[in-house]
Amino acid sequence: MNSFGFWIGIATLFIIGLGFIWVIRGERYFGYLWWPYVIGAGILSILGSMFVSNHWASGLLGALGASLIWGSTELKEQAVRGEIGWYPFRGKKILPLFSDVIRKWKAPSL
Amino acid sequence: MDINLMGVSTALATFFGVWLGHVSVRKIERETVNLRIPTLAALALGIGFETASFLTSNLILSAMCGILGVTLLWDSFEFHRQQKRIKRGHAPANLNNPRHAKILAEYPVATTFDWLNRSPRGSAYSSDELVSMKDGKK
Repeated sequence: MNSFGFWIGIATLFIIGLGFIWVIRGERYFGYLWWPYVIGAGILSILGSMFVSNHWASGLLGALGASLIWGSTELKEQAVRGEIGWYPFRGKKILPLFSDVIRKWKAPSL
Repeated sequence: MDINLMGVSTALATFFGVWLGHVSVRKIERETVNLRIPTLAALALGIGFETASFLTSNLILSAMCGILGVTLLWDSFEFHRQQKRIKRGHAPANLNNPRHAKILAEYPVATTFDWLNRSPRGSAYSSDELVSMKDGKK
């Protein structure tokens, strides 16, 4: 019996659960325009996992990277949820570098 | 230095698992009349993947099955959570689905209107704007 997959599955469920929290909080304070940076962090996390020899650490970095990429695609919808009153709305956001350029790009949404 | 593919594999399984739970659950819930069928299917698939993760000696395969199994087990609850969103009007109901038609008749806030089908504008909507938006004026 190999319980590695089961426990990494449980750990991934927590990482995905954390994703709900940081998407909601992150969008409220920082806004959805951070999405390219979040995608970048996710890609870096997955690429970094390839150079970690420990299976647990590599597996968790990969799951974290995927969760970050997914979360970046949720930021735009979360911004709308705040604007229409489903979540507390904070008008003053801490915007990222190049936010004026990013605003012209189509934010990913799945 | 050896390349470890464990992280890439868990990333693929996580992304696919979340996609299944997010996009396909919404679509299946929208079309299915009897929610027990997809709920039980997700439960059975989840148990199947978890069993496979215990039985394989390959660590990468075990991790991928473990992640997919856990997300599928979560999805079996997610069908009912999606139905609750329909009742609250947070997800659009499908008039052609008799279960949704019943929800629309019983829950005044349930709607076929998709509130999220728009881009963020940077400011909160007033109640008047929300009413006119729902009425299709905006």
